[in-house]
Amino acid sequence: MHSTRRSVSLIAGTVLLGLLAVLIAGAHWISPYDPVQQHAAERLEKPSAQHPFGTDRFGRDLLARTLHGGQITLLSAMAALSGALAIGLAVGLAAGMFHNSLLDRLFMRMIDVLLAFPFMVLAMVVAALFGTSLFHLLLAVIAVGWVTFARLARSVVLQARNETSFAAARVLGASNRTLILRELAPKALSPVLILATFELGSLILSIAALSFLGLGAQPPTPEWGSMLADGREYVLQSPHIMFGPALFIMLSVLAFNLIGEGLRDRLDPYEKPQL
Amino acid sequence: MIVAVLLRKLMEALLTLICATVILFMLIRLAPGDPAVLLLGQPSEVAAMHTEVYEQKAAELREQWGLDQPMAIQYVSWLGRLVQLDLGTSLHTGRAVSAELAERLPATLQLTAAALAVQLLLGFWLGIVSALKAGTFSDQLIRLACVTLASTPAFVTGLCALLLFAVTLGAYEISSEASWSRLWLPALTMGLASMPQFARMVRANMLAELGQTYVLAALSRGLARRRVIGQASRNALLPLVTVTALSAATFASGAVVIESLFAWPGIGKYALDSILRKDYPVIQGYAFVMVTLVILIHLCVDVLYAYIDPRLQRKRRQVTRGVNEHA
Repeated sequence: MHSTRRSVSLIAGTVLLGLLAVLIAGAHWISPYDPVQQHAAERLEKPSAQHPFGTDRFGRDLLARTLHGGQITLLSAMAALSGALAIGLAVGLAAGMFHNSLLDRLFMRMIDVLLAFPFMVLAMVVAALFGTSLFHLLLAVIAVGWVTFARLARSVVLQARNETSFAAARVLGASNRTLILRELAPKALSPVLILATFELGSLILSIAALSFLGLGAQPPTPEWGSMLADGREYVLQSPHIMFGPALFIMLSVLAFNLIGEGLRDRLDPYEKPQL
Repeated sequence: MIVAVLLRKLMEALLTLICATVILFMLIRLAPGDPAVLLLGQPSEVAAMHTEVYEQKAAELREQWGLDQPMAIQYVSWLGRLVQLDLGTSLHTGRAVSAELAERLPATLQLTAAALAVQLLLGFWLGIVSALKAGTFSDQLIRLACVTLASTPAFVTGLCALLLFAVTLGAYEISSEASWSRLWLPALTMGLASMPQFARMVRANMLAELGQTYVLAALSRGLARRRVIGQASRNALLPLVTVTALSAATFASGAVVIESLFAWPGIGKYALDSILRKDYPVIQGYAFVMVTLVILIHLCVDVLYAYIDPRLQRKRRQVTRGVNEHA
């Protein structure tokens, strides 16, 4: 019974994600409106057959904006994640390979320091100093995000180093490079990728939250968080304007959370109830 | 023994703090443009000032901050001012940043404490119920609710709450004061946003503990189920002390969104307003205060842990992994 439920969450997440991907990729065909074209005569219209999500304060079609915004939100989240993943993996592999060396200690110290920087605070400092834009926001995300992956990769590598296959490869005269790429990297990759699935959901939430504060994508770019920020003053009078972006943020984070949950349940031996 | 551990932790915390100040300092230098202009505001934005007066002010500032001296000396003198709690003066109000922040800190702490209470009460309750009824319908219902809640951005929950309680029901007053009657809605929103993760950890820890052989042994010897579960839950929930403390740190910094949404006059909202005003010294001061706060909380957690159970020192890292990221 449990194994079926676990698969259900994995399958439901994947299906949901696929559905969202199709909707977002097909934005042009699904909604014929231009996401940035303003129509003064159609301001703040309620949802109708013509505009399923209604229109915003500039008369722009909200369905078109939501779908086009999805491309920006999801692609930027993935870009930030890949950056963090690459750095985290590289640092984790190097620190684990040369355990207790100066390099390892330096990296660990850096990780400790970065853990003291709350993500929000760093993003705010970067936005204040370098200016508010999506690019700077992503840089801040990467600067903090790699730490989690580095710690995980390092701990996996430290375990893998104790295995016979690693010792054998070393005895056979494999170079450090070969050891890292052939012996350690493949073992670290799968747990790190699973963590990444889970992180993608929280990354979308963070990016949306910061965009909502005005620190991310700037108008008129359609992006879910900034769409909500844009409609903030009008949302109490015409609540429908937050429906589209809020729904899509929720669904996409839900999809990644379900996939992550499903993967974790499969691999986590602890959560098997026995009582 | 315990004193030695405390001393080592204290030294580590101090080292981390110093590294953090280096990063903060480097960030100012990495920023494009002249730091003096950054601190004074762009010439075009300080419209009330003549060019000569502006240049003179900028020169004064360079002198005062020692911007013509080598970086290392600049850093040390900046650190010296930090130690004396001199965070500079706000460009907007002209008052000391430390005074401005101190004024707004109580509101943030009040909100944080209330949100933490919401998270703990709901998290423990749902987590324990979910663990004890693992696999049943109510467990799945709780988990589904938690996953959905965890997928909802806090500002969407907050907007919905505002819409429902302030607009439709008229039960919540929209103003910008920090009063007890205005506390419950932002606290509820904030607590609900972080509750799912906590409930999940409570559930996982409970299940791991209930799966131990001593639980089975106690039950098979005929001990009352209630008592066994009571004992096991004490073991299971102890590690969550640290998670609680760490989520307090996340709250204090993550409060920015909630504070700005509910117009709660805490330091998060102040910092955000300062970014939009390009009030640079305030941002720097805010970041320094936040980082210090987080390091202090981490230190308290370590000390608490050494006090509660020295054996658990290593285990903590696993339990708390991934809690601190992405407020």
